[in-house]
Amino acid sequence: MFEFIDVHKVYPNGTIGLKDINLHVDDGEFVAVIGRSGAGKSTLIRAINKMHPITSGKLLVNEIDVGSLEGKELRKLRRSIGMIFQSFNLVTRTSVIRNVLTSSVPDLPLWRSIFGVFSQADKIKALEALDKVGILEKAYDRVDQLSGGQQQRVALARTLAQNPNIILADEPVAALDPVTAKQVMDDFKRINSELGITVIINIHHVELALEYADRIIGIKRAHIVYDGPSRHVDAKVLSSIYGDGDDESV
Amino acid sequence: MVLTVAEKLSKEPKIWRKQLVVTLIMVLVLGWSLSAIKLNTGGSSGLTVARNIFKGLLTPTPSLLLNFSSNGVAYLLLETICIAFLGTLVGAVVAVPISFLSASNIVPSYIAIVGRVVIMAIRTIPAFVYGLMFIMVTGPGPFAGLLTMSLASVGMLSKMFIETIEDLDKGIIESLDAAGCTLFQKIRYGIIPQLSASFMSTLIYRFDMNLRDATVLGLVGAGGIGAPLIFAMSSYRWSDAGAVLVGLILLVLFVEWFSNKLRKKLARG
Amino acid sequence: MNLYDRVFKPKKYTLENGKTVWEKRNRTPLILLVIVLMIMISIKITDFSLAVLIKRMKFFFVMLKDMFPPDGSYIPQIWKPLLDTIKMSLLGSFIGAIACIPFSILSSTNLVHAKAITAFFKVFFSVVRTLPTLVAALIATYIFGLGTLAGTVAIAVFTFAYCGKILYESIETCSMGSFEALEALGCGKPSAIRYAIVPQVLPSYLSTVLFCFEGNVRYASILGYVGAGGLGLILNEKIGWREYGKVGMILIALFLTVATIESLSQYLRSKLV
Repeated sequence: MFEFIDVHKVYPNGTIGLKDINLHVDDGEFVAVIGRSGAGKSTLIRAINKMHPITSGKLLVNEIDVGSLEGKELRKLRRSIGMIFQSFNLVTRTSVIRNVLTSSVPDLPLWRSIFGVFSQADKIKALEALDKVGILEKAYDRVDQLSGGQQQRVALARTLAQNPNIILADEPVAALDPVTAKQVMDDFKRINSELGITVIINIHHVELALEYADRIIGIKRAHIVYDGPSRHVDAKVLSSIYGDGDDESV
Repeated sequence: MVLTVAEKLSKEPKIWRKQLVVTLIMVLVLGWSLSAIKLNTGGSSGLTVARNIFKGLLTPTPSLLLNFSSNGVAYLLLETICIAFLGTLVGAVVAVPISFLSASNIVPSYIAIVGRVVIMAIRTIPAFVYGLMFIMVTGPGPFAGLLTMSLASVGMLSKMFIETIEDLDKGIIESLDAAGCTLFQKIRYGIIPQLSASFMSTLIYRFDMNLRDATVLGLVGAGGIGAPLIFAMSSYRWSDAGAVLVGLILLVLFVEWFSNKLRKKLARG
Repeated sequence: MNLYDRVFKPKKYTLENGKTVWEKRNRTPLILLVIVLMIMISIKITDFSLAVLIKRMKFFFVMLKDMFPPDGSYIPQIWKPLLDTIKMSLLGSFIGAIACIPFSILSSTNLVHAKAITAFFKVFFSVVRTLPTLVAALIATYIFGLGTLAGTVAIAVFTFAYCGKILYESIETCSMGSFEALEALGCGKPSAIRYAIVPQVLPSYLSTVLFCFEGNVRYASILGYVGAGGLGLILNEKIGWREYGKVGMILIALFLTVATIESLSQYLRSKLV
């Protein structure tokens, strides 16, 4: 679970990233965050694993106050949170399995870490993760030989190998064609329902968001303007999230 | 084609063997080269010298540094610049025809190979050998140094010229042809503009390096800043040596900054 | 409008439809003037004289001729200095290449966020690079005594500066995405560097080190001139004694060695990319 209580985030240059955020997400939920570019979706997600620290308010992840965490403690928290990126963020020159194995790196003793020597158990864990996303046969191929959809699955496998209880996904399908995008969203849905992992996705394909997520959070200009079940989202709700309305100019 | 995890694991490519062999070879080679080092008991006296040089660097002799007479650091730096400058130009004069003769898109390949071997031979002969040879021709002094620099530059200049020549875009020449140009016009308007920016950039880069190598010349008596340096050091006048080194470092930093700006301008227009 | 444009006003062209275009005057005459001036100054200072050159150039070729046929009986005495030269370059290149890694990391703005630190180390690299290898060797002979140790140190210093600059430049142009991903899953900075940055820069780093090593073999032969060991020592001796046959032999040995090492290095480098 995670919970935002009166959270604000102001960037060093004065831009307001998040304002008055109050949000509670339970274990096992599948949440989609929608809104215009620059509204604050990314900031919200990256606050959860402290990639973008908040400036005031309280943020609890798995009952722990994130604000107080530093160094080793913070890394321990991040072990239990998986993150998926729009541009996959894989090491393209190495093989698929080595990318997935990097999820074991924080737990390795120093000598193993330096030489990149992984134990049998780690390798099996990585291969099983690849199997779960359906690309086991590509395990020893180089990443840059795979298609976009396959690369995102490798990223997903890397995250699964961590055994996280929360997955944060920042525009995971933005760089993919519609068919592949659906396949990747199916994977997310499966992971959420079969493994019980909490999933929160940033997405600007509203149709996909409504189709896959149980709950929708709409963000506009750093505020949450909608928080409710996806089946209740209609055109009026959408225009309140995406429309210009009578607001101040940017 | 369903694969089990265990089956896939067994198919893991075993590159660790290759890595082990490579590491072993490297360790052996390095161990062998260690044998060349006779660890002189430089010990304490070595450290004193190092400290002295350092002190000398921090307290350069101002009179020497700012002396503009022909013995002073400033004049010699100027002389070094001139040697490097003309040396690069003369080197270019020699390198350009050789480069054209070694470019595989201009001449048949057997001539090109001969050209490259000649360039390699010129490049292998160490600069100070040329220095000593040219001293026999012109007597000691900056003239010999200049000629040495030119031959020493031929190697790198040719290599980069050849790369540029072989990268020539034939399309431009084709279009000039289609517009009805003579051979001379094609060279003047098609080939030369493509080459000149890159050539200039290469020349400037080489000038930068020649400036540094020109210090070598002083050591063989061919002019430049090397001579006072070695005099100062062999008489343990560390502050004087410091003066020379400071002047040298400043000069090279300045020229490098300047040449970087120039080359950026050439690249971006 | 910069200074040049103020002195030499741009030319005005008026088109048929009334539009005007300003064409800036060609800079070339000014540049040519500067270059010609520089050439004239240089000629004066360096005593360049085409006449002398033409008259006495033949001595150069006489010496060249004396080098062939090379003195084959001298070969056995060439071995040790030749091997010394190779060993010095190997060890020196290795030490320099390893030593520059931490300094390059500290110079990279995408890994170290304190501008003061990165600026300091970049300047440090620049200053070390200005030192010509021969000067470094000279200084090294005073600190470490004559012999191959001094030469190795000089080569290590040069390799350090050269590889260091290229390494930090390549680190700075790295794609940081995978680095971010590793930090997000809980890796500390050193692990993230090891697994995200290293795989990206490794091929070009190795290629640079090999290239540097090639050049160092040739440098190492020069260092002997200041007494830092290797071929340069005997080369200097034999030239002084005008035993050009032996000089020719040494040069040929050097040529063959460098040619072999360069082809080997080129082959290895092509497999890296």
